[in-house]
Amino acid sequence: MNKKYDAIIIGAGVIGCPIAYELSKMGYKTLNVDKLPDAGEGSTAGSCAIVRAHYSTADGVAMAYEGFKYWLDWENYLDNVKDEKGLARYMNTGSFLLKSQGHDWKKVKKNYDEVGVQYEELDNDKIKEMVPVADLHEYWPVRRPEDPKFYDEPTKEIEGAIFCPEGGYVNDPALSAHNIMRAAEAKGAEFMFNAEVVDIRSDNGKVAGITLKDGTQIDAGIVVNVGGPHSFKINKMADGVWEGCNIKTKSLRHEVMYCPSPDGYDYLNDGYHMSDGDIGCYVRPEVGNTFLIGSEDPDCDPQQWVDPDDFYAGKGGNGKDNVLTDAQWKAQCYRLGKRIPSLQVPNQPKGVVDLYDCSDDWIPVYDKSDLPGFYMAIGTSGNQYKNAPVVGRMMAELIDACEKGLDHDKEPLQYKFKYTDRSTDVGFFSRKREINYNSSFSVNG
Amino acid sequence: MMKNIGLIIELNNGKIKETNFGMITLARAENTELFAIVIDADTGVLKEDLESFGITNIIDVMLPEGQQNNPVICAKAIITAIKVFNISLVCGLSTAKGKDLLPRIAAFMEAPLIMDCHAIDPEQNLVKTSQYSGKTIATIKLTGEVLILGVRPNAIAPLKAHTSARIVPVELDEKNLVSKGFKVIKTSETDESKNINLADADVIISGGRGMKNADNFDILSKCAEKLTAAVGASRVAVDAGWVPYSMQVGQTGEKVSPLVYIACGISGSMQHFAGMKTSGMIIAINTDATAAIMSNCDYYVKADALEIIPELTKLL
Amino acid sequence: MQLYVCIKHVPDSAAHISIVDKTHIDENLTFLLNPYDEHAITEAVRIKESLPGVEIIAVCLGKNDADKTLRSALAMGVDRGILITSDKRHDSIETAQALKSAIEQDGTPDLIFTGKESIDAEGMQTMFRIGALFDFPVATNVVRVDIEADRAVVDSALSGGIVNTYELSLPCVLGAGRGLNTPRYPTFPDVVKSKKKPIKKIMFKELNINVSLAGMNIVELEPLLQSREPKEITGDAGEIAETIIRILKDGAKVI
Repeated sequence: MNKKYDAIIIGAGVIGCPIAYELSKMGYKTLNVDKLPDAGEGSTAGSCAIVRAHYSTADGVAMAYEGFKYWLDWENYLDNVKDEKGLARYMNTGSFLLKSQGHDWKKVKKNYDEVGVQYEELDNDKIKEMVPVADLHEYWPVRRPEDPKFYDEPTKEIEGAIFCPEGGYVNDPALSAHNIMRAAEAKGAEFMFNAEVVDIRSDNGKVAGITLKDGTQIDAGIVVNVGGPHSFKINKMADGVWEGCNIKTKSLRHEVMYCPSPDGYDYLNDGYHMSDGDIGCYVRPEVGNTFLIGSEDPDCDPQQWVDPDDFYAGKGGNGKDNVLTDAQWKAQCYRLGKRIPSLQVPNQPKGVVDLYDCSDDWIPVYDKSDLPGFYMAIGTSGNQYKNAPVVGRMMAELIDACEKGLDHDKEPLQYKFKYTDRSTDVGFFSRKREINYNSSFSVNG
Repeated sequence: MMKNIGLIIELNNGKIKETNFGMITLARAENTELFAIVIDADTGVLKEDLESFGITNIIDVMLPEGQQNNPVICAKAIITAIKVFNISLVCGLSTAKGKDLLPRIAAFMEAPLIMDCHAIDPEQNLVKTSQYSGKTIATIKLTGEVLILGVRPNAIAPLKAHTSARIVPVELDEKNLVSKGFKVIKTSETDESKNINLADADVIISGGRGMKNADNFDILSKCAEKLTAAVGASRVAVDAGWVPYSMQVGQTGEKVSPLVYIACGISGSMQHFAGMKTSGMIIAINTDATAAIMSNCDYYVKADALEIIPELTKLL
Repeated sequence: MQLYVCIKHVPDSAAHISIVDKTHIDENLTFLLNPYDEHAITEAVRIKESLPGVEIIAVCLGKNDADKTLRSALAMGVDRGILITSDKRHDSIETAQALKSAIEQDGTPDLIFTGKESIDAEGMQTMFRIGALFDFPVATNVVRVDIEADRAVVDSALSGGIVNTYELSLPCVLGAGRGLNTPRYPTFPDVVKSKKKPIKKIMFKELNINVSLAGMNIVELEPLLQSREPKEITGDAGEIAETIIRILKDGAKVI
């Protein structure tokens, strides 16, 4: 006799855990399966865990702004569960969005106004007061150090910045997933690790359960794909699912650099999250008084699509495997070095290489599938960590509504936010949508 | 053809350090005659010990007055002995002292030198040593009239081979024993032994969540001192503010490759592993038998490191 | 004053090493300036900042792409670079001869720095060979340097916290240790400025080095495989500690 659950959630990362948590609160008996040894050890652990509200669509902004409230109220969100590893902490640094040609900041401003996000517009003098180490010249367009024009002298300054007092990062993303797991377990959820899914079974045109690598079969009438960079492989295991998606996902390799802060600048305590489209970078502080430097994927940077299993196994060779490249180290650090001229760049690359589960338009797919009972929360494209608690609740409501008969494709669920006075059309995240050209097609979302 | 092998004996307060006997054992082979080179010591007292490991000749080198600490003079004196006794293979210990002495001998003689060897074939003139920060083993062929080797201390266990030895003094020509442009001013002891760098350490003892607080890291420091080890930490300990970031081992800290990594109260997340997985030997001490590190190590102990490490320090 | 710094282009210590043809490593990985050489360069720059009329020249023996490491050195404050190009692997004897020859051809050294060892070959000897060829005094693992008129007073660290203070007449050769200083890495403006600094390229065979009869040749490289089979150590605290000591002594051979 196979073990049976109401719902099996594939993946115990920062999206998979809140889905389990919310479904459990609704009375579902859930099981998360994850091929790694613990919650949040996959791509969640590589996340920069930045919490900020600037998205290219009003819905995107609204969801991110809603997400804040969860991070700010973390203990209560977790219903005061005890985690033996301690709790992750949200560090509210405040967030700069530099006005540059790299960001449609005017659209962001409009979205902020619509949703009611608090912000200030700052001139360059004010920015320099707050960030004394900054050089505010315009360095657009973004180039690579191999390009001789990378070294051109700038001629003018940027126009200022939009500053949100609400914004920052979570200090330990893997721990945050672990916290949510403990909260879910307190509501009856179960978790199984070192368990790799190799097949998704269906019966009579409905999902019936999963099969693990060791042959174990587990049954459930609901299966949710939250497999991160492995999401496309999982979708292909289920009958008709992959084919029924117009928006596909694949894994994109990303490097994030860790560079020490200049002498005399306490970035860890005095610094801000900064989104700098002018140099194609975003930064936030990290322990060790370090700048964590992420890339906004400027056009001049080659995109590396990889097989996630090969990648995590360290196969594929230079530039395909999970080792930092010197070329990208220099690209990201020198770009930041333009904005912060006193930044000293070590010779040895240091940082994290991981994968985004990227959708065709960099907007997630939060949807059911063509196989009844099979759902997906995928295509997070490097920009959904901050929304995790919201997505957990939204997916739980979507699953519940669909299981109770809602024809979500015809009449998309309208999800009402818990904190923000607004609803969002979940159809926005449909697997069947046409590519959304309003998207920024980047990690900015 | 009989090959004369010279073994530079490293002394501590006039006594032979244990590790010399392993070196002698390593160098022993067929058709070889072993010459111990002893500097500024009472060779009569040391004779018996040297004889029990196969030494047949003890070269008694007395350095000029006041030059005992000068590695240049010492090197030149040893070179005299090498020439007088037709020594074709010279071995010394690859210790800090050896690093200041053996390369000088090799440089003055333009002879080949390999440091930190752990295997020797004196017939083929082949040695094995590690390269690339401990990630590879290189087999190297040496060619030349005189070959110099720095032997890794404890490369093999000493094995006795009783024989009898004669003591032979070597006459040093003081005119040749010149230390050009090089003077020893003084020797001092500093506290720096407490701050061995993570990247250079042969042994690292590291603490994680199981250390519980900053003070408990003193337990690791005391043990590290005895082991000449560096103290490291997992990200958890750094995030908690127990230790500075400079001690962090892991994906976003230091990547290390010591001979031995002792993980105390560390669960072994993938991020931590990324920083120490190439360690020669991993010993994990954790109360949680299901911690990932317990199945990814060479030896594991299901116990509280806060109890085990002080015991270890006591016995060292 | 002409300060020469001998530098090496080496694989990143964090790189995964794989072996090709049983004798070479797969070079498809990040190469960079040998970490100990960073201390040497930083010290040379410090000396330059404290004395008038100092020029720092970096010299490197390597393949063409070692150019990148010379660029790093220039960005860290070296004035100009010399790359001796060679596609072969050279042992310390040949390396010292090449470096000495290139330095001699170029100028008159007052002080030659190296790192105390390279993190790939770990030979720990090239500085002594350079010193012997020039007939200059040498000290290594130097953790403090004071330059006075015609001499250098240095602290050379042995292990166990013991430090020897040596006085070397100039010119001399010094191998920089890790405790010497904290490397001063370049800022982006430093990188921009250094792009104009020149790198002279000479071919190894142009140096007319006398082939030595002595040499060290790698005949085989094997990876150090780590397949771990965890074994439990049991007993009470004292017994466990004893077992650990035995393992450290007989197994790992670190005590």
